[in-house]
Amino acid sequence: MDVIWSRGLESFTVSEVLAVLEKRRDIAYTTVMTTVARLFDKGLLERERDGKRYRYSPKCTREQFLESTAREVLDGAVGGHQVLAMLAEKVSEASALELDELEALIQKRREELGE
Amino acid sequence: MTEAAFPLLGAAFVVSIVLPASALLAKAALTLLERSELGGPLSGLTLRYVVLTASSATPLAWFFSAGLHQAESGQSALACLLDHDQAARCFEPGFFALMLAGGVGAAWLSAVRGSQRVRASSSPAALELAERLQGLLAGRAVLEGLRGRIVVTEDESFSIGTYGTLRPRVFVSTTFASSLTDAMLSSALAHEREHVRAFDTLRYLLLELSLAVNPFGRFLLERHATLWKAAREAHCDREAVLRGAAPLPLAQAILRAARPLSRCCAALGAGDAAILKLRVNLLLAFAERAPHRRPSEGRSAIPLALTLLVLSLLMPHRTGTEALDVLHTGAEHAFTYFWR
Repeated sequence: MDVIWSRGLESFTVSEVLAVLEKRRDIAYTTVMTTVARLFDKGLLERERDGKRYRYSPKCTREQFLESTAREVLDGAVGGHQVLAMLAEKVSEASALELDELEALIQKRREELGE
Repeated sequence: MTEAAFPLLGAAFVVSIVLPASALLAKAALTLLERSELGGPLSGLTLRYVVLTASSATPLAWFFSAGLHQAESGQSALACLLDHDQAARCFEPGFFALMLAGGVGAAWLSAVRGSQRVRASSSPAALELAERLQGLLAGRAVLEGLRGRIVVTEDESFSIGTYGTLRPRVFVSTTFASSLTDAMLSSALAHEREHVRAFDTLRYLLLELSLAVNPFGRFLLERHATLWKAAREAHCDREAVLRGAAPLPLAQAILRAARPLSRCCAALGAGDAAILKLRVNLLLAFAERAPHRRPSEGRSAIPLALTLLVLSLLMPHRTGTEALDVLHTGAEHAFTYFWR
């Protein structure tokens, strides 16, 4: 879904996703086809016949997806008791690695967008 | 029987029975709202805020006002089991109201004391940052409204945040600002601008107060308050982007602000990585596609909560105070029974 959302693919075939992923790593057509079919089964994609193949399109944007899954993501979240509005509360040392991963993700996205 | 029976037992009943029951109802309502298919935990901020704060404020305001009303009009003399020597008035409801007000005052102090203090600084490094901030304010329309509302601090345990209940100001630390590019810093300021504009510091204080005043508030409602705050922060991110802040630099500034400083973690309390991840991912989504505006999210929360508060204060004067009479008689009967 990341490839579909970040590339803004409104309508695509398995081959088009494969072409994007092949630039990053070796990957088989059947692997991509299975993954796309699973995403369709989970209701994240819709499809229509286009000759012998299917054309897929995302059923929601990344934002809509994040909002719909926010409850699971935030389940068990704990916050501070501050009465001031801070940009972000400090996380524990254990979470610092997660911050590194997030920062790398942003950097990658900035490069993709040419910022 | 003593005159202290009703004020003490009545206040204890309100705090230990009425407020927890109200918090339980609020929890049920909030659980339903957060599970709503329409919005989920990132929307419905106004209603959820009103439910969170009203669960404590409404019953307290009603009992407080009813107590004062009875003390003033002397109606309580009919319900009072004590002999007041033919006096037309019984002052116990007034003392009962004072007990409740004292409890709220103590909770207010505890909520305010719990917040971190940050001091302004005027060292050369602070002046240099102030100059940099002035430059940023001058060149960016997204930061309009922050002029005269930014304070520089050298408190290293602090990054950036908005302080001040009635006159909110944005505090920025020199250490934090030095780790950011201009794009990151102005995006972070745009996020804080939304807090300033919406008086979020007042909201957060009232929210903390309503949790602190209820003995079961933290136990039953803290998770919902955390979700609400996370949603509010995500909303400020969205508004900042809609007003022109760059989403990816804002995401980077959020991560820098969340970086742990070993010596200050305990003092600040650990935030939650799940909330950060969600906010950062939303900002990544905003970088791909501009977000939709949600103008009503939370904006009318304070006026609505205050209207409910005023209604609760006025209601005993208009619709009677029978519930307080029952509490009054019940407390005195209970006292007589156990004292015997």
